Amino acid sequence: MSLLQLDQATIRFGGLVAVNSVSFTINKGDLFGLIGPNGAGKTTCFNLITGVYKPTSGEIRFDGRNITGTPANRIARLGIARTFQNIRLFKALSVLENVVVGGFLRHRTTLGSALGYFPSAIKETEELKHEAMELLKILNLDQVANVRSADLSYGMQRRLEIARAMATKPQLLLLDEPAAGMNPFEKEELNGMVKKIRDEHGMTVLLIEHDMRFVMSLCERIVVLDHGEEIAQGPPSAIRNDPKVIAAYLGEAV
Amino acid sequence: MFWIKRLLSIILAVAGCYAVDRIATGSLDSYGQRLIILAGLYVTLAVSLNLINGITGQFSIGHAAFYQVGAYLTGYLSVTFYAKSSLQGIPWLVAMVLAGGVFAAIAGLVVGLPSLRLRGDYLAIVTLGFGEIIRILVQNNAKLGGSYGLNVAPKFQSIWLVLLLAVVCIAVCRNLLKTAHGLPFLSVREDEVASLAMGVNVTKVKVSAFIIGSAFAGAAGALLAHYEGFITPQTFRMDVSFIILTMVVLGGTGSITGSALAAVFLSYLPEYLRGLKAAGGGPLTVSGAGVIAALLATAFAVALIKRIMDAGLGSPTRRGLTYLGILVGGIVAQFVLSMGLSAIKPLAAAQIEAGQLRMVIFAVTLIVLMLLRPQGVFAHHEFSWDFVKRLFGAKNVKTTEIAA
Repeated sequence: MSLLQLDQATIRFGGLVAVNSVSFTINKGDLFGLIGPNGAGKTTCFNLITGVYKPTSGEIRFDGRNITGTPANRIARLGIARTFQNIRLFKALSVLENVVVGGFLRHRTTLGSALGYFPSAIKETEELKHEAMELLKILNLDQVANVRSADLSYGMQRRLEIARAMATKPQLLLLDEPAAGMNPFEKEELNGMVKKIRDEHGMTVLLIEHDMRFVMSLCERIVVLDHGEEIAQGPPSAIRNDPKVIAAYLGEAV
Repeated sequence: MFWIKRLLSIILAVAGCYAVDRIATGSLDSYGQRLIILAGLYVTLAVSLNLINGITGQFSIGHAAFYQVGAYLTGYLSVTFYAKSSLQGIPWLVAMVLAGGVFAAIAGLVVGLPSLRLRGDYLAIVTLGFGEIIRILVQNNAKLGGSYGLNVAPKFQSIWLVLLLAVVCIAVCRNLLKTAHGLPFLSVREDEVASLAMGVNVTKVKVSAFIIGSAFAGAAGALLAHYEGFITPQTFRMDVSFIILTMVVLGGTGSITGSALAAVFLSYLPEYLRGLKAAGGGPLTVSGAGVIAALLATAFAVALIKRIMDAGLGSPTRRGLTYLGILVGGIVAQFVLSMGLSAIKPLAAAQIEAGQLRMVIFAVTLIVLMLLRPQGVFAHHEFSWDFVKRLFGAKNVKTTEIAA
């Protein structure tokens, strides 16, 4: 069953067509890769899906609903969460607090009950903290729960971004270069973690990554973008040998 | 059980404020009482601005405008309706405080809307402009007394209500930060794009911050109007906004404790300096040589401390002792320098009243603090009993409670 569907999605910034009628469909339970050279429009694609940008034309459907032009915070509530290429943690907040912000979209109490410090708000806060702590345990971050997130190591910050996104309990998780800047050991660990997220938490994963070995070993289906256009789509084995993909990455023969 | 505890703490807060009121009216002259009232109002103003500026990160420098909206509208209501009203005395004042809060909250909503599209210095300019617009509107409105000012009758002097308002303001901000509802406010300050991606309704958060923050400023305005009995647009000049902002920055942006203590300190410091007396009883005077020597010694000591801080040499204890040494050295240097400078005739002859130097001292204090501790005295820290326990040597105090 299709979960996310991009239909001829296009966005122009002035004269630049950053994403040019890109279409692909992600099914529930997919581990989907989005690759392409620098400036191919991968992150812009993420920004279209998560509502940071509104497409100039085309349509995006999520879970049977048209979400084209829906504000970003509404899209998060519908069940799409993301991480950022250039880590965007809430730096002054602790690791635990970062994750609680992610879980906060399920809050039921009102702002008034928090200002009055009523039992309902206190109880909810405890519940959200508890949930966040469970999530931190899964991602091996529970030891640093009270550390300021800016003080974490780079690899831990990337993991925290994933934890924070998972805290929103999304159906679809978008990971923007999750392995960037990680050492081979951390990448191996991340590989297992992403598989676990899909298998045990039932989240569909769409990820952007530059490390070919990482993508090929992890993803079951891949879309390749170049200059904003989709040049190939298929399983890793087909992508690896696609002449267009090789040309895009290595340059064409003169 | 919870509600019994809550009721008790409310009764305790009211009783505490009332006790301070009784003691102050019994033992202080009207000037001393005035200082308490102004400090209380400034605490409310600084803590409420801290919600907008420090916690939510919306750089607003027009807080005096909300203060003014509350003061003028409730002042006008009192003049027009008090005589015919069935509410008399303190209940009327309480009603006015609530009305001031509501009026200012509406104004806060109006100013909050541009904050959805503007950030940083652009928003600062809009809020500054809003403050001036309100002041000039009042200045040109004959019904509100124009630039002559408005006589507010009846007058009320109730220290306890001023203190209670400050306590409520602090409690509300603390409650917000103690629950999960406070986190979206902080996350909007940290990163708007990431907040949106986490499903935070950034619009609602920003507007809520403006509404709550300005409501408290408006309530404080109502108390000011009914205490002074006379308000003019000059009471709410731009520099009032800046003093409130200074309190927030000095205390540590985002820290409620810092804002409140800085408000007390900065509202009291100029008055203390104004009242300095010489041993004989006349106004305290200093020579020009002394002033220049003091400034030079301060600059030198600050430069030294700053260098040692940046280098971060030695253990904290040793650094602390070094700072103390520099401080003592600075005071000694000031005397030596001042004797040396006295050789220059015009400098020795110039006599300056200490009271006149209060704004200089005020400014120098701020400059020194900003140089040595740019994050504010309390930075982002809050007062907590755990901290007090650790201060008195208790070990193994858990730093934060986690529900796990």
